[in-house]
Amino acid sequence: MAEPIITVQKVSKYYRLYAHDFDRVREIFSGKSHCQQHFALQDINFTVSPGEVVGVVGKNGAGKSTLLKLLANTMQPSAGTLHIKGRVAALLELGASFHPEMSGHDNIYLNCSIGGLSKKATDAVYADIVEFSGIREFIHRPVKTYSSGMFVRLAFSIATHIDPDILIIDEALSVGDGVFARRSFDRIMAFKKAGKTIFFCSHSLYQVEAMCDRVIWLDQGKIKSVGLPAKVVTEYDEFLRMESSQHESLETIQHTATEAPAAQHKSEIPRIFAVETTVDGHLAKAHHVVSGKSALAILVKFHPGKNVALPSVAVVFTGGDGRILTSVGSLNDGHHLQVDAQGVGIAELVFPEFPLLKGRYNIDVYLLCEQGLHVYESIIQAAELNVEQIGLALGIVNLPHSWKQ
Amino acid sequence: MQLSTSATVQTSHNYLNNVLGGILVPIRTSIKHMSLMQMLIKREIVTRTSGTVLGILWPLLQPAMQVLGFWFLFDVVYGMRQNRGPSYLEFLLTGMLPWMCLSEVLNRAAGMFREFSSLYHRAPFPIEMLPVFIMIIPALVYALVYGLLCFYMFGFIAAAKSLLVLPLLLLWLLPFTLLFSVLGVFMRDFTQVLPFLLMLALYCTPILYFPDMLPTQAQSWLWLNPFADVMTCIHALVQGSTIDAATGLRLLLVWLVLLVPSWHIFRRSLPHIREVL
Repeated sequence: MAEPIITVQKVSKYYRLYAHDFDRVREIFSGKSHCQQHFALQDINFTVSPGEVVGVVGKNGAGKSTLLKLLANTMQPSAGTLHIKGRVAALLELGASFHPEMSGHDNIYLNCSIGGLSKKATDAVYADIVEFSGIREFIHRPVKTYSSGMFVRLAFSIATHIDPDILIIDEALSVGDGVFARRSFDRIMAFKKAGKTIFFCSHSLYQVEAMCDRVIWLDQGKIKSVGLPAKVVTEYDEFLRMESSQHESLETIQHTATEAPAAQHKSEIPRIFAVETTVDGHLAKAHHVVSGKSALAILVKFHPGKNVALPSVAVVFTGGDGRILTSVGSLNDGHHLQVDAQGVGIAELVFPEFPLLKGRYNIDVYLLCEQGLHVYESIIQAAELNVEQIGLALGIVNLPHSWKQ
Repeated sequence: MQLSTSATVQTSHNYLNNVLGGILVPIRTSIKHMSLMQMLIKREIVTRTSGTVLGILWPLLQPAMQVLGFWFLFDVVYGMRQNRGPSYLEFLLTGMLPWMCLSEVLNRAAGMFREFSSLYHRAPFPIEMLPVFIMIIPALVYALVYGLLCFYMFGFIAAAKSLLVLPLLLLWLLPFTLLFSVLGVFMRDFTQVLPFLLMLALYCTPILYFPDMLPTQAQSWLWLNPFADVMTCIHALVQGSTIDAATGLRLLLVWLVLLVPSWHIFRRSLPHIREVL
């Protein structure tokens, strides 16, 4: 087994709380503690092997951000030891160390040197950084003149071109929007393919499960569970249900649009331009459905984009409280979507005898990349279902079943 | 007895290590991250000159204009002369330029951590290089102006010797820089009161006046002011005036006594700084 690239042994991190600001000065000058310790992490132990993709899940305040800061070496542990072999690139607060008066060119050199690259090494990657960011014509202008999109593109490009051995990602698997979002996602995936170690912290359980080799579940600063994604994500999901917390599984990078304009038909990246739901042949946005009787059909029309692999489509059913009840995905089902003669991608999904029992449900539609990870577009509450039932079955679903004679 | 001697030796050894640490760590960190240092210098120049017509000339013009101001006030308007030794203006400028450099560095030190928080808060930035960095540009700018001025006033040899003044002064200032950077970040009142304290120190130090212009009783208390000793050393180095060994020893003692605790305090403050700012 390869020697660990990250070794975390008995690491604790506490933040100091003081009754008065002056107590901090007293502590620094005297060396005697005058604070209350608020532990963000307590007695954390784990190792990460080279090439492993490790996910971190946990509720807000569980210690995820603190752990990332320790790994990114912007903070030191209060106790324990943390060994990291190799260069770390952290996609945390991109562009925070940019100087607005300096040009893009100078900020590349400044940020590369902060990232540990010599001038010679920066010279070697400079052209690639500029090329990837796509702002060649603006590179000698002060970054204060950049749009927020240009700013984040340059920052992402710098962070991922310092040839890191370990990549730390906080929340999103892509940055920016449109074409660049896909390019940034591809770049992160390229790190995964190249066998780089990735530390990925996210609320998106779907992405964590799809992407990671191992998952660490943090709760109140301690490791509650660690292991294979399917096991830990299920445990965590169950925990969230128990706590009646709001589900956040597929909520990253969402648009709240309910309709996609037809102008996106010419977009370079895949876009949804129509979601049509019919119940027993009636087209509407809100439906009355009879459980076990009505036939629900969902038609998703999308522009497949240019020079990208054919996307996949997922449909998610959520309850009135936002909880995900079930989902169906073309990738998961091994179904290849079709593009018609006019270049329109079509995904048609049919539930002949709608199995959910009485209740109000929403349908969310996602257009995802060919790997089912990167979300091009999502239509939240694309349709609303008001389900009635005949009979006395309890719960939310009528499972396929039969009684033996 | 033997144990006690051994403990004393050990303590002295630790103290020496801490003295060396206080000097070497900031310098070594700066050398290790030389390309970062160069970019920070560029960043500083851009910050100071952005949007100006004269650009990079401004950092040099500012002290030069102050020199002109002193010349106009004390030579042209007041016509201050004295019959012995260097002229009043020569005496004033010999001490005033290093004082301006000292004042700029200490004021900057007090605001150092807040100024650079965007750099170290989200990246593994080597904070230990900051005390050295904030000295570099004042050192370069004032050394150039001071060297030219000394050449004009006292000739080539004095100008050559004057080049030693600012590096030595800034090395001596290191403990103050470390201490002020911590006080400035956690005691905001300190940054408000510091300009006043520096002005008070200027008035209590023979820079605007010759030492023998003070009342005799006040002259006998001057040894308590380390900045007065600093000025005595500067005048001795540049103008070749006499200096007693006690002056140099006092300065060395102040430096040694302050360096270790200020280095400890600086290091102890770093986790707090990363957490708070």
